[in-house]
Amino acid sequence: MIRSRAVLRGAVPVATLLLVSTLALAEVAREPYASTYRPLPAEPLLITGATVLTGTGARLEGTSVYVVDGRIAAVGDAIDAPDARVVDARGQWLTPGIIDVHSHLGDYPSPAISSTQDGNEMTSPNTAGVWAEHSVWPQDPQFPLALAGGVTTLQILPGSANLFGGRGVTLKNVPARTVQDMKFPGAPASLKMACGENPKRVYGERNQAPSTRMGNVAGFRSAWARAAAYRDKLVKARGDSEAEPPERDLAMETLVGVLDGEILVHNHCYRADEMATMIDVAREFGYRISAFHHAVESYKVADLLAAEGICSAMWADWWGFKLEAFDAINENVALVDGAGACAIVHSDSARGIQRLNQEAAKSMAAARRAGIAVTEAEAIRWITANAAQALGIAEETGSIEVGKAADLVLWNRNPFSVYARAEQVYIDGYRYYDRQDPERQPLTDFDLGQTARGSAR
Amino acid sequence: MRQRYFIPTLLFACGLAFTGPAAAGVAIVGGTVHTVTSDEPLHDAVILVDQGRIQAVGASLQIPSGYERVNASGKLVTPGLIEPYSQLGLMEIGGEAATVDARVGVATIDASVEPYRLGPGFDVQYAINPASTLLPVNRVDGVTRAVVAPVPGNDPLAGWGAAIRLGEGEVLTHPRLALFGQIDAGAATLVGGSRSAVIQRLRLALEQARNYRPSRYRPEEGDYRHQDMAALQAFLASGAPLVLTVHRASEILQAVSLGRDYGIPVVIHGGAEAWKVADALAEARVPVIVDVLDNLPLSYDQLGARLDNAAMLFAAGVPVLFTAEETHNARLLRQVAGNAVAEGMPWAAALSAVTRRPAEVFGLGEGTGTLAPGAPADLVIWSGDPLELTTWAERVMIDGQWIPMESRQTRLLERYRDLEGEVPFGYR
Repeated sequence: MIRSRAVLRGAVPVATLLLVSTLALAEVAREPYASTYRPLPAEPLLITGATVLTGTGARLEGTSVYVVDGRIAAVGDAIDAPDARVVDARGQWLTPGIIDVHSHLGDYPSPAISSTQDGNEMTSPNTAGVWAEHSVWPQDPQFPLALAGGVTTLQILPGSANLFGGRGVTLKNVPARTVQDMKFPGAPASLKMACGENPKRVYGERNQAPSTRMGNVAGFRSAWARAAAYRDKLVKARGDSEAEPPERDLAMETLVGVLDGEILVHNHCYRADEMATMIDVAREFGYRISAFHHAVESYKVADLLAAEGICSAMWADWWGFKLEAFDAINENVALVDGAGACAIVHSDSARGIQRLNQEAAKSMAAARRAGIAVTEAEAIRWITANAAQALGIAEETGSIEVGKAADLVLWNRNPFSVYARAEQVYIDGYRYYDRQDPERQPLTDFDLGQTARGSAR
Repeated sequence: MRQRYFIPTLLFACGLAFTGPAAAGVAIVGGTVHTVTSDEPLHDAVILVDQGRIQAVGASLQIPSGYERVNASGKLVTPGLIEPYSQLGLMEIGGEAATVDARVGVATIDASVEPYRLGPGFDVQYAINPASTLLPVNRVDGVTRAVVAPVPGNDPLAGWGAAIRLGEGEVLTHPRLALFGQIDAGAATLVGGSRSAVIQRLRLALEQARNYRPSRYRPEEGDYRHQDMAALQAFLASGAPLVLTVHRASEILQAVSLGRDYGIPVVIHGGAEAWKVADALAEARVPVIVDVLDNLPLSYDQLGARLDNAAMLFAAGVPVLFTAEETHNARLLRQVAGNAVAEGMPWAAALSAVTRRPAEVFGLGEGTGTLAPGAPADLVIWSGDPLELTTWAERVMIDGQWIPMESRQTRLLERYRDLEGEVPFGYR
């Protein structure tokens, strides 16, 4: 996965931006399905006197953060910025924008009615050819609720009914008319895979493969074997004009993207033993697993995950809704982190995504209760920098460092308190949400005139 | 015939007395004590516990000799938490039907088998499993009692729920505690598709139950069977609450009318749009069991859902209870309560909503849910503000007995917290 720095870093002066967006309409060379997201023009911003959790493990008291053209220009205690809009943040806390690596917003919107259930293409165990972004409804009223909880970036994944659910997409949590307008520029696509109970149940009930865990693994392996052969044909056709390229196969294209290291694997996998098996599948076919999701048993193999460099995306305390979730413990996140592996708190929930700070707080408290020392400065990485790492966007967002995108959340108090609320949420330096200003609280089309928030205005 | 129905009435009034081994007296000394009988805490207080009950609470109490002294200085002490809507004891693994006893009448995979029909005649008390692993997981986080509710199967009325204690030994304390049902769009699908048909069916059934005589009742296809009618008649005579799951404002008002017309104490469960009809609820003294975090417009019944629902209801004078709405994680009650405070509800009212209020609304016995003298000694010593996320329960007492601070989850933690230990995992 090699990403051009220029593509990622969209620091363009405002005037040029307006020009570009006008020209964009006439542009014909745009790649199909490419991001059309453009940062909104934002005045220079100086947030002063905050307690800053940087996402790099540091906690800075009474610190100022200076934002120019949507990027973090300086972090310190005496920044001179006469041109900036100043936000006095004394007594408040500033963190990187919250990132959820596991969401279905837009694919499973509210209201959850039959006409909106677009998250699981349950028609074949291998639907690697479908893309979650093609189900995203940008008017899902759940997007602004997540924004009010500080979520600036989120990965939308297909569901887990299939061994290969399809491609996931990383979005900026901005109000938009099209999903392309939300796509995170330069973020790699992902492949959703699922172990365990779900695929074998869905297809087993139809008397088709897979109906067992061994059937799951055979399904994975035969698909990867086909992908390797498909890739060989592609490579051969590229170097030899005589050779016939294979007929286009969307599922194979996704798997080849993984084998080429361009598409990141996000693998739904609860049980420790199944994680070990999936690591062997990846080893057999020469691909990497970026993260195990719903990894309730990661604590049992945290050493293995650390050695393999695989992230674990975990809930704070969900458990027991099925047998593979029965061994969840609240210390999971801290034990994985403590073993030196990449630990992430994820939601998989339109409720939970609004309070990932609270989910991280519960994981931190569970660790402390068990005598494992964890600070807020460390725990914030579970929902910021580590999540950015798993999504392949860590160079761009997930921490408060000079040069990074100004994706920021200003909290009215310590965000690990249940009483904390996001006061202001910035994406690329633009104030998309302000708790004190109804004009900065976006509403979707669906909200207008009918939901509680839509009626309030 | 009439006499027979007196039995549940009596049970409802008194509860089943819990008779565990008599513990020695306990004195909990030095904590900040929230008795939930007043909004202000007692500082550096002493709680005396004897015979499973709170004996006395005060700032300067003599500690009788022989009492176990427990130091709680720097800690907060509250009554144990009470979850007013759960399937605790009825559910082990949500996705495994053989471990779930919360409903009847669900169609099986074999379509040729007609689903068993049972509505108000269903009663969960016989299936409650005291050995459920969910009980220790939740009690070590301070949940000491719970209402166990049936879930609608193929009838809007789900049946009788019960109350349990999460202590060791017997758990069932109040069988036939309340009748549960659902009158939202989900219930409508069970009676042909319209919400109106749900209300019509309920009203007709209550009308019939008033005058029910087994010898004269000739149920037709779709009517309640004798077992259901007998249960409904018993319910009307019992004075027990009718807990209705309902979200839409207009239907909440239907529930209020139903309670008024039939003299039934109605409790609203869910109530996503209850804030819209807060004044009517307050006037009728109809309590609402709120999941504070349920702010999504998840269905066309809930388009008005909002985070400050509980705060608005409380401000209007509605009795508010909280539910975690998740049986495995009833322990999240305190997070729910904390969020209500963040959205504007007074802290003391939020604590009451997870302690005293549910005990009062469901009649769990004099003083239950408080630390008043004579109350069952259910209490928790917290490391700090129990509504915060970064605190935890240090010790938990149920009916005067300290519970072991152990669960399946603590055992797993101990087995795996050190991956390099010398003892093989299977022997830890």
